[in-house]
Amino acid sequence: MQILATDFGFKIQRMQTDVLVVGGGTAGTMAGIKAKQANPDSDVLILEKANIRRSGAIAMGMDGVNTAVIPGNSTPEQYVREITIANDGIVNQKAVYETGRLGFEVIQELESWGVKFQKDPDGNYDLKQVHRVGKYVLPMPEGKDLKKILTRQVKRHGVNVTNRVMATRVIVQNGRATGVVGFDVRSGDFVVIQAKAVILCTGACGRLGLPASGYLYGTYENPTNAGDGYAMAYHAGAELTNIECFQINPLIKDYNGPACAYVASPFGAYTANAEGHRFINCDYWSGQMMLEIYKELNSGNGPVHLKMYHLDDDTIAEIESILWANERPSRGRFHEGRGENYRTHGVEMNISEIGLCSGHSASGVWVNERAETTVPGLYAAGDMASVPHNYMIGAFVYGRVAGENAVDYLQSLDHLEPDADFLAAEQARIYHPLTQPNGIPHTQVEYKLRRLVNDYLQPPKSPHKMEIGLEKFVAYTDTLTEMGARDPHELMRCAEVHFIRDCAEMAARASLYRKETRWGLYHYRLDYPEKNDAEWFCHVNLKKAETGEMELFKRPVEPYIIDVDLKEEVYDVAVR
Amino acid sequence: MDSELDQWITLLRSPLLDDRLVAIKTLQHLGDEDAIAPLIDALQDDDPTVQTLVITTLWEFAHPSAIPPLLGCLGSPHEAVRNEALSALKELVSTDDLMKLLDVLQTGNFHAQLNALVLLRKIHDAQALPFILPFFESENVELREAAVTTLRYLNQVVRCEPALALAQDPSETVRRAAVLTLGHLSDDGVVPLLSTLLTQDADWQVRRNAAQALDILADPAAIAALVAALTDPEWQVRKFAVRALQKNADPRALPTLINALADDFSDVRRDAATALGNLGQAEALSALQQTLNDPDIDVRIFSERAIAKINQTLAATAHG
Amino acid sequence: MAQTSQRVDVPVIVDESKCLEKCNACIEVCPLDVLVKNPETGKAYMKYDECWFCLPCEKECPTGAITVQIPFLLR
Repeated sequence: MQILATDFGFKIQRMQTDVLVVGGGTAGTMAGIKAKQANPDSDVLILEKANIRRSGAIAMGMDGVNTAVIPGNSTPEQYVREITIANDGIVNQKAVYETGRLGFEVIQELESWGVKFQKDPDGNYDLKQVHRVGKYVLPMPEGKDLKKILTRQVKRHGVNVTNRVMATRVIVQNGRATGVVGFDVRSGDFVVIQAKAVILCTGACGRLGLPASGYLYGTYENPTNAGDGYAMAYHAGAELTNIECFQINPLIKDYNGPACAYVASPFGAYTANAEGHRFINCDYWSGQMMLEIYKELNSGNGPVHLKMYHLDDDTIAEIESILWANERPSRGRFHEGRGENYRTHGVEMNISEIGLCSGHSASGVWVNERAETTVPGLYAAGDMASVPHNYMIGAFVYGRVAGENAVDYLQSLDHLEPDADFLAAEQARIYHPLTQPNGIPHTQVEYKLRRLVNDYLQPPKSPHKMEIGLEKFVAYTDTLTEMGARDPHELMRCAEVHFIRDCAEMAARASLYRKETRWGLYHYRLDYPEKNDAEWFCHVNLKKAETGEMELFKRPVEPYIIDVDLKEEVYDVAVR
Repeated sequence: MDSELDQWITLLRSPLLDDRLVAIKTLQHLGDEDAIAPLIDALQDDDPTVQTLVITTLWEFAHPSAIPPLLGCLGSPHEAVRNEALSALKELVSTDDLMKLLDVLQTGNFHAQLNALVLLRKIHDAQALPFILPFFESENVELREAAVTTLRYLNQVVRCEPALALAQDPSETVRRAAVLTLGHLSDDGVVPLLSTLLTQDADWQVRRNAAQALDILADPAAIAALVAALTDPEWQVRKFAVRALQKNADPRALPTLINALADDFSDVRRDAATALGNLGQAEALSALQQTLNDPDIDVRIFSERAIAKINQTLAATAHG
Repeated sequence: MAQTSQRVDVPVIVDESKCLEKCNACIEVCPLDVLVKNPETGKAYMKYDECWFCLPCEKECPTGAITVQIPFLLR
């Protein structure tokens, strides 16, 4: 069926730019700035489906950075060792190394822009130890305005910004990325942007699992991050990797924020079981830590909580002022509403819904140390690019790497006129729900999809359940055609449900493919409960084959540049 | 575009409060630096809500020309206005603003002085010392506390006799701050004074802070007081005293550290195990064997490490 | 499909007596784009129940007209 934007009174907007950054969060703003710095004469455009003032994972700020490699405290080599061990050896060390090598420059640059990191009385960075070895955690108690500072720099650098336009597909011609298509989520206009290089910075897939509360948008990740980039890269033919290494976080029960043991632990707080005793000795989030929490929750000693009630009033007041101010300012309100007080109550914790996010774990679009995907001209950075445990500093580093390399790459390239059939097909796909305003609402279609994700993919992973789940996710392609929408806003949510379905299918297939257990709870297979290095010391990559089928394959781990003896240094957060 | 900007700038002077608020908000989102000068003028608005919003907006522009007018807001009679100015300046001040901040200290306005003392901590410049010292004599508790806290942030100041008097101030909030600052000073009287406060101050937070300061100073002269503090009724005092004893491994601490392995608080048990490991004495081994079964995983891990370390030390002495 | 008009408890509460008709601050910043103006009154309201309770709308409101509650299912 032919469906055009103009059928609904929408216009078709055309734009051209040298560098196109999709997503204006942490990585995207930095990518835009660095591309412009690398070549001030180039046109750089950031496309954002919200407003870059308050968008992305750090919409409201951030209370600290997790992976600061600061001379005198740690080295890039130590950092690579730590992440290699924490990610059970499945890393491209060269890519991880860049985060360690360039992280300090990022911190210095952010500081020159007005970001305040915590310093001790002598004026040195006040780093905290949270990882097993080495100090990488740097608090930023005044970090609530990070996004504002980034927005100011985007403006000062002359980077163009288009807000409230959502990208839905990458245009690929002659084997290279040549732009994106999407639509304005307020006016409904169809938007076609030609670019010589495209940098995807669309964040995690945070709306994959359904939170236990049942509220669709009560997710750990900013719910705008629906896996857009994972799906767009997949349909562009790029490889994705480690998708079976889910993101699962220890959160406050019923609330979408972390208990933040790592913020409170320097003050003497810690994660405890119901008896009030510590059961893990390292608060750094990893699959291994999550497995210990899972076990404790399901033992007679559960539930678990962040324990502060043994501390004094003044110390607790100080912890509250940090925890309630930045990353999740609604947290104080949450506790207040329940009549909970840290002085008398532990903060009950639970395991979050699953998601895909390299910032915390390792799933993402495959990139090398130059932020290149496997499609020429297509770059990726931030939570959706495959550099493991990359967190905020890694997003900045890879935003920078992508921005600089993209400018370098596009020098001799010209714009290509998009293929008319492609544009027509995409319009038919995205505007379809408007043809049936009484179709099933996106909320219900999304709810059921994500409930199926919980039912069949939530670890521990059972092969038979995942097979059923996969079958249902594939069949859900038809269900999506039943969705109806009444305005461009609902159309945006409908397009996001498509992304979520793509991610669910990838998550099921990748989890079935890797027949071993690795990364603690993230890929804990009931039928293969042991790690099997002989067969599975490799990445599991996937891509869209020529046939349109999803193809999975092993990709060898690149030779290490830093020697790590994984037999000796098994990651263990619960030495017994 | 220019005319749009002008339209909002004109609205800044509207007699209607609502219009002025909308104008500021719009200029904030537009982010055009041509709006900075008119916004600075709007700091003189009669309405404190307008003033606060203008400060937020100027903060967002982060232009150095706004720093002097923002310093002028630090002494505002309106709490929201001066707090917003303080937050903005915490991000905006740099070492170039030292003299301007010192001028604010001379104004005689209590709020301005207090806020300027806080901002000097971002600059870490010892030149501020003579301007801070007069506040040690202030009648006002908050100013005394702020001044002695700021002293901690002045690099290169290693001796400051007047700070010792504040560690015996009648106000416990001043003593708590002064004691932490003493941990960064090397005047002769510091360690004896901290030792006395550690065991005798009526306020437990002063005692805890004294233990933290003595941990930084790591002076063997404090051992007796630190050992005595291991029986303090407050667990946080015991915890930080144990930590200070980790650095100064002294056999006199052995019996009390062994008792600390049975403390009700796991942090004390854990840190005592590490201190015993550092001592390297066989007498601690049987007590540490017991804590291998502690319900707290940290205590188990650190006890295991302490045992290994003691055995290593013993083996080295036997061979050496 | 049959339509229902089921009520939901929405997290974003707007005090219409304080909301300014010319102001769009909350609508501009909402990451989920759930706020719109009521064309008849010129006041903002939460049109779509898709709130992350992240609070930019509340923080950006120049008159303090907005209060964000934790969504009922979580609180």
